[in-house]
Amino acid sequence: MTTATLSAPDIRPARFDPLFLALSIGISAVLIALVLLDGQPASAALILGGFGLGAAFLKAEFSYTASWRRFLNKGEAGGLLGGFIVIAIAALLIVPVAAMGGRYGGAIAPIGPSLLIGAFAFGLGMQLANGCGSGTLYTAGGGSGRMLVTLAFFVIGSVFGSLSLPAFLRLGGIDPVLASSYFGPWGGLLVTLASLAVASAIIVSIAKKRGANFTPNRTYIVGGLIIGALCAFVFLAGGHPWSVTFGYTVWGAKIATFLGFDLSHAEFWNWDGPKLALKQSVLSDTSSLTDFGMLLGAMAAAAATKPFARTAWPPFGSLVAAAVGGLICGWGARIGFGCNIGAFIGGVASGSLHGWIWFVMALAGSFIGIRLRPLFGLSRD
Amino acid sequence: MRKTYIAVTLVALVVIVTSHLMSPSSGRAVSPEDFAGACAPCGAPCPSAKK
Repeated sequence: MTTATLSAPDIRPARFDPLFLALSIGISAVLIALVLLDGQPASAALILGGFGLGAAFLKAEFSYTASWRRFLNKGEAGGLLGGFIVIAIAALLIVPVAAMGGRYGGAIAPIGPSLLIGAFAFGLGMQLANGCGSGTLYTAGGGSGRMLVTLAFFVIGSVFGSLSLPAFLRLGGIDPVLASSYFGPWGGLLVTLASLAVASAIIVSIAKKRGANFTPNRTYIVGGLIIGALCAFVFLAGGHPWSVTFGYTVWGAKIATFLGFDLSHAEFWNWDGPKLALKQSVLSDTSSLTDFGMLLGAMAAAAATKPFARTAWPPFGSLVAAAVGGLICGWGARIGFGCNIGAFIGGVASGSLHGWIWFVMALAGSFIGIRLRPLFGLSRD
Repeated sequence: MRKTYIAVTLVALVVIVTSHLMSPSSGRAVSPEDFAGACAPCGAPCPSAKK
């Protein structure tokens, strides 16, 4: 008589995805090695900072787009206030250090029609795209095929934005308004923190009037603290607040040039910064470095916990919304001097008035964008 | 979708490495804000500079 041992088939879901975990870590190592071979430890730090941001955003599910939508639809303010935690933490370092000069500087921008129109367009587009600058990066990196579409069109839109920005600047405007220019490094910081307190009070009062929750959940508080600290780290490594969308513009312009388009006569690409960025390696551009890090960090974080990119492609209407939203976001980010990260977080954390103006206009754009979502088969919520 | 991701990731890696090896580099990574007269993260000039 023989005996056999029967074991039940292992039906436990895979705990991680070794292929994509290895890809994300391996590619990060290659990029870091390339910049270290050039003797650029600060560039390696920017890739690592981006990697941390990608992982933190993904694990905290830190979504500006969804939290703004919850606020506008239902009055729920927890997510919005979680975003303010990021700014407050980053401002503690950025406002005083940027005001003291040297190689550090804040995120500033002129105030005029370009800022107003661009921010409004960006807010509208991000509700169709279902992601802002950082949201697109971490969800695309995290395995959402839909957001790969958004990212591709974001890049295209930002190149169109670069071509039209000079015309919008000619509509007029005033120079940047910085709190530290009027109140000094520490006074500027106090004014910046006070502005966050006032904005928080307004948002909480709106939430209370609508009978909605206004307390950030634990994930948003912890995520906000970590992301704020990483913003400060990126500032120290790069010399300027974290920005996302200029990298997209450079990628798009390099691809356009490769395809035979001549950008040498475009005014934007003759300004010193963009001109050099177009000529140099993408690994010499600070925003590209953090962007690559963020994509790979989100991929690593997603692959470390579950099989990567196993979901099906979304319906066609959703993909069209991703494309249209990405295109508008890209254009709006260039016209409005950045996205939630470069213009809002970076701007307010630098004590620059344009950050708050960007926020108000982008919130107004989101209000319209939410109402357009059903046209593409997306829910308003 | 996994195949798409593998293809996109590997193509991106090849393009980045090739671009890096074939392009000049001036040293440390820069932002357009590093340049004199830049008034925005993209390097746009200040309105007052045009007057």
